Amino acid sequence: MIEARGLTKVYGDKTAVAGVNFTVEAGRVTGFLGPNGAGKSTTMRMIMGLDRPTSGTVTVNGTPFAQHAAPLRDVGALLDAKAVHTSRSAYNHLLAMAATHSIPKRRVHEVIEMTGLADVAKKKVGGFSLGMGQRLGIAAALLGDPQTVILDEPVNGLDPEGVVWVRNLVRHLASEGRTVFLSSHLMSEMAVTADHLIVIGRGRIIADAPIQDIINGKGRIRTRVRTDQPDQLMHLLAGDGVSVELQDNELLEVTGLDPRRIARTALDGHVMIYELTPLQASLEEAYMELTKDEVEYHSLIATGAAAPVQSGGN
Amino acid sequence: MSSTTLDPSRHGAHAAGDPAGKLPGTSTGPGPSFLRVLNSEIIKFRTLLSTLILLGCTVLVVVGFGALSAWGTGQFSEAAATDPQAAAAFAAQGGDLAVGVPTSGIAFAQLILGSLGVLLMSSEFTTGMARSTFAAVPKRIPAFAAKLLVVMLTAFVLTAASVFLAGLVSLPILDNYGLKLDLASSQSVKMLLVNSVYVAAVAAIGMALGSLIRNSAGGIMSLVGLFFVAPIAFQLIPGDFFVQARKYLPGNTVDPMTAVQHVPDTLEAWQAALVLGAWVVIPVVLAAVLLKKRDV
Repeated sequence: MIEARGLTKVYGDKTAVAGVNFTVEAGRVTGFLGPNGAGKSTTMRMIMGLDRPTSGTVTVNGTPFAQHAAPLRDVGALLDAKAVHTSRSAYNHLLAMAATHSIPKRRVHEVIEMTGLADVAKKKVGGFSLGMGQRLGIAAALLGDPQTVILDEPVNGLDPEGVVWVRNLVRHLASEGRTVFLSSHLMSEMAVTADHLIVIGRGRIIADAPIQDIINGKGRIRTRVRTDQPDQLMHLLAGDGVSVELQDNELLEVTGLDPRRIARTALDGHVMIYELTPLQASLEEAYMELTKDEVEYHSLIATGAAAPVQSGGN
Repeated sequence: MSSTTLDPSRHGAHAAGDPAGKLPGTSTGPGPSFLRVLNSEIIKFRTLLSTLILLGCTVLVVVGFGALSAWGTGQFSEAAATDPQAAAAFAAQGGDLAVGVPTSGIAFAQLILGSLGVLLMSSEFTTGMARSTFAAVPKRIPAFAAKLLVVMLTAFVLTAASVFLAGLVSLPILDNYGLKLDLASSQSVKMLLVNSVYVAAVAAIGMALGSLIRNSAGGIMSLVGLFFVAPIAFQLIPGDFFVQARKYLPGNTVDPMTAVQHVPDTLEAWQAALVLGAWVVIPVVLAAVLLKKRDV
């Protein structure tokens, strides 16, 4: 279990992580989602004791990482695929890491086999592709057979087969009762991998909920309704937990009622509706919605091919 | 990469139907004791080809300069036999030039092994290896101390062996000119030990610089500045202060420690030893304190 309390990191005048609180529970895959520069890696480095929090605390199983008696056996982390000396072979890198905790050579061979690095284990890491580097990072994370596994963007640079492999691996680790904390900026990957999501934007936690809740827009169902009598329908639909927004003179967006109930209410009230569209947000949309105000680097070309011509004056 | 299936049987004991076999927060094996961290640093040290090449170069340079120096010293003594001017110069050197022959390549050994000290630490940061190192040893100081021990011991042993080898190689050359060199004499042994300690000290200073600056080029340039540029600059800058200060540069501590008798206007041997010690302790302690404090 990982617990962050008021965790803050300030670099100069830039706040990378702004007093976040979250708990990563054991036995499930917790996704850590956010745009680039949102503070994911900084948070993970603080968990691993590599960056010192400006204020606040973060503990793994109740103890700050640096105070664990055998850190590699408790927490394994892939923080950066390039956290390896490029002139050393993968095998020797793992051997040196293992030596700090008297982890036997047998285990080094095991993680090499497990991550599919057997063919390249004796080669210099400098020649590795990004995907091979990721596999080596994952091998290093699993070296101590740790109870807590932290992986920062593990699928970056992996081929499709590797992506599926990581997905199965983390689900398997969680099924064994381990704490699995996985970061990504790819919503689609989280949708199929994580059980629980923590969404971060500009150093703040935007959402912390089961993945299904986030897909459902925090449990809220939105429906687009088109009618000739919007005022009357608005009046009929009004109720607890229901919000109706008039988007233009014939279009309503209803939140908190399912389409069947809306249709029934309209029928009972003799209001004709000629469009009823459930807005089941994809996780991608939910994510965009959550983070639209929080992304640090907005694309200049926002609206497709026509934009650059039109926005010449910006 | 075909063998990328996950083998659930790998988890051994606690895979057998006991997912909570590991209680939260409890480790089921040894942690990073100093000896284990030392072992890890030794593995890291010996598995870098560039390190081994630099060590080989050190031996070659020290032995090569020993042989060249033996030949040059022989030529000089031959000239002294016929040329009264050379004879006077020869006599002024105390007549025993041969004893300095084995250590004549030390200036280069210190440059190579000092740079190695810089590189071993700075490369941790430039390659990102530091994140792996300090995730495994989050208290950081044991990893730093272990690396320092490996670097200093290697520098000491390698310098001692190279100087001894240089002595062996120069014996027949000196003999050819009728010069005697006794490698077992107290002065020879003193030269060997003091120079080896000195090179180990330079390597330690290099490692401290590599840790403080975290950049290979910057660290090596600082080292070169301290050992090669500063002595010349201090000589050129007018004023008594720099003449006095020059004695306290780390590179000028070896001669007083190996002198047969005290030369006026230089440090006493014990003073020189203290100065060199301070040049090691201050940067190393500063590097260790900042390493503990700074983000990796």
